[in-house]
Amino acid sequence: MWPSTRTSSSRTRTSGSLSLKGVPRVARVLAREVAVTALLLLGVSVVVFAILYLAPGDPFSLLLEGQMSAGVPGQGVHEAMGAPKEWHARYLSWLAGMLRGNFGASIRTGLPVLEEISRVGLNTLLLTLGSMAVTLLVAVPIALYAAVRGVNRVSFPLTMAAYVMSALPVFWFGYVVIYLFLHTFGLFPLALGSPGTGQGPNRLYLLLPIVVLGLGNGTLGEVIRHLREEMGRVLSEDYVRTARAKGASVWKHAFKEGFLIPVTEIVASKIPFLLGGAVIVEQVFNWPGMGRMVWQAALDRDFPVIMGIAVLAAVFVRTGSLLQRFVYIAVNPGASRETAERRAA
Amino acid sequence: MKRVSVAMLFVFGMTVAVSAWAAGPRKDGRPDGGTVNYGEYGRPATLDPVTSNEMVSLRITELVFNGLVGINEKQEIVPELAERWDVSKDGRTYVFSLRKDVTWHVRPGEAPMPFTADDVVFTYNVMMHPKTITPLKVRYEFIESVEKSDDHTVRFTLKRPILNALAKFTFKIIPKHGPSNPAYLTREDPFVRRPIGTGPYQLKSVSGDGEITLAANNAYFKGRPHLDTIVAKPFADQNILTQALMFNAIDMIVLVNPRYLPEIQGDKRFVLQPYNALSYSFFGYNLRNPLLADRRVRKAFTYALNRQEMLDSFFNGQGTIISGPFAPGSWAYNLDVAPLPYDPQAASALLKEAGFSPGPDGILQKAGKKLALTLKVPIEKESEAVKRVVLAFRNYLKGVGVDIKVEFEEWQAWKEDVFFEHDFDIIFATWVFDDSADISSLFLTAEIGPWRNNFGGYSNPEVDSLLMEGKLTLDHEKRRTINRKLHAVLAEETPYTFLWTLTNYTAYHRKIRHVAIHPYKFFSYADEWFIEP
Repeated sequence: MWPSTRTSSSRTRTSGSLSLKGVPRVARVLAREVAVTALLLLGVSVVVFAILYLAPGDPFSLLLEGQMSAGVPGQGVHEAMGAPKEWHARYLSWLAGMLRGNFGASIRTGLPVLEEISRVGLNTLLLTLGSMAVTLLVAVPIALYAAVRGVNRVSFPLTMAAYVMSALPVFWFGYVVIYLFLHTFGLFPLALGSPGTGQGPNRLYLLLPIVVLGLGNGTLGEVIRHLREEMGRVLSEDYVRTARAKGASVWKHAFKEGFLIPVTEIVASKIPFLLGGAVIVEQVFNWPGMGRMVWQAALDRDFPVIMGIAVLAAVFVRTGSLLQRFVYIAVNPGASRETAERRAA
Repeated sequence: MKRVSVAMLFVFGMTVAVSAWAAGPRKDGRPDGGTVNYGEYGRPATLDPVTSNEMVSLRITELVFNGLVGINEKQEIVPELAERWDVSKDGRTYVFSLRKDVTWHVRPGEAPMPFTADDVVFTYNVMMHPKTITPLKVRYEFIESVEKSDDHTVRFTLKRPILNALAKFTFKIIPKHGPSNPAYLTREDPFVRRPIGTGPYQLKSVSGDGEITLAANNAYFKGRPHLDTIVAKPFADQNILTQALMFNAIDMIVLVNPRYLPEIQGDKRFVLQPYNALSYSFFGYNLRNPLLADRRVRKAFTYALNRQEMLDSFFNGQGTIISGPFAPGSWAYNLDVAPLPYDPQAASALLKEAGFSPGPDGILQKAGKKLALTLKVPIEKESEAVKRVVLAFRNYLKGVGVDIKVEFEEWQAWKEDVFFEHDFDIIFATWVFDDSADISSLFLTAEIGPWRNNFGGYSNPEVDSLLMEGKLTLDHEKRRTINRKLHAVLAEETPYTFLWTLTNYTAYHRKIRHVAIHPYKFFSYADEWFIEP
């Protein structure tokens, strides 16, 4: 991601020296990031489209698949549905639609992609953000305790347990949890989401997949290690020692550099992994999210849906890293000047 | 299935009258009320009978719509929306007299609309419109035209008389005022998600996570169905689906995965009910490969497989070993042809006869060419049992000195390799039939080519002429004789190693009574199901 940032930033700088003078630095940084994001999304859509186009199979043939027929894929269907035959025309028409905010309609269900994705995207957002919160709730106390007290009888087993937990494959962990809830606790509705009366999902049910993904997504161990090391490093810095010597709050002094920055860093960098884990957890727990939708769409080669989700996932990831960057700059205002100077050099 | 055809011949060319049912509650003394929640593996894309092509959708359309004629539990053609029909002497004209007491499901803010001949003409026109994408089109190309004679009479003219034409008029009728587009139906039309029909159940709601609620149609022309509500719940996992039944979160599973049969069987609360499937699995050979072009080699492979053992251990024995190209539930199946027994010695002898001898590594070879082949298998949703079958295949053939390399491929990639590139030696697959038992597309020489069904390149003039003859004849007995002969020839020629037809099982809670099931459409008789209070 960095090389692309650099090339585009140099472009903004050349034009920026003229027109952006007087514009606050934050706005300039923001403009640059938005431009980078746009380029990134364009790149993602091209790559995803190319992969889909080169993959065997035709989404349109699926609509004619009945019994006893292989059938020429998409014979007459392309024309009937008004889909261009050439790949570039198909891509360009998709792109033109997207720029106008129209992501097209799913080939399989005929539903507008944007509407469908925003419906299930919310569920996935809930799942990923919730699981991130769970990860932090578990990891942060362990890491901080270990950073302050070092390796001892309490922190060592806790840390080890967290490492083992992150090493478990999430689909397996999901099944184990479901079985526990079913057979040991007999709490079926909790594991299935509905008491069988045709009512909507049980609210409590939502907790289970969130906790499973939060514990099992593999980031738990990493968050602990990263945070413990950073916090440990900051705690041995001179300014913290000074603070301690004069009786000021160590926590207050160490908070920004030893806690906020490492946590946002790791959260941002783990978003792609969380999205990947969500695909599996959604499948296991029957969770109506983006992961399940993209899985079905991939099997069907339903390209408008896949493209829409790819773009949205890229937006998620990019937003995460942007947020991290802004937190970093907010905590350490020198940082933006520093990087700008480094780039100018 | 034999009875079907007899019944059809009987009605052919004559008029049938029906006793009229009255709308309103049924007077059969069975209680009304209750809800049945059934679990489905996967969720439907569309719910109308024209654009949908998945079994999950087909089952729901069976509850919401009616055809001109239906098929009863004894597999006989019975009147539905048409109360009687006349067939001309030459078998080319079918005139249907429609019921006058049928109304469409009422959408909020709409007056009740009667069902008329216009709806029938509309349905046919929509189905055949070039912009409507439906797998049904090819099935109804035999119809030349449809006209409305008056509000309650329609006349179908056929291009040529065909056998069992009446059974084809089971297609579901959709209302003229239903779709928003008056000429054709696409998946973007709201009607495909909120359809209305004439059937025993009316679509009430579809929840965000795909739960479909159907409510009893009080004005159903055969009388109000007994169950108040039927709810379809989608599941993404077979295991969880089974657990949902065990924990009473659902009352019924349409198709139980064979793996979970023992678990349900041991539970007194549930009924496991078998129903026949018109499908079979097979290993298909690519006859373009010179090694497989020799009939003796293909037959040797069949001898080398212990099919009964595979069926017993991978599918709990729930199925029938077959010997030929028809499903055993079909009238076309020839019971006189017995499946080849498991006989590795016979296999080795045949391979020896074909000129193969063991090489230094134990693999058979002929003129320096090893008998090594690639088996391509599609990865489907539930591939566990399939995996075991193909690995067993490899081991059995290893036993007689054949080297099989198994390659698993994603569904679309597999289809392209098999049907388009013809880049395979052996495949494992399943054919699913509709009610017609027409296998001509599988073995006709004319069907060899890209995206045609004769993927193995099988060509035999005798089979060709039998298939064509069977297609053209209007005499049911003659067609049966032809199919029996075809069965015998193809069993001997072994273009496939025919494996088995699996028995489908539905599982449901004992409280649901009078459950009769259509082998293919499932819910055809659900209006008579009831719950014992």
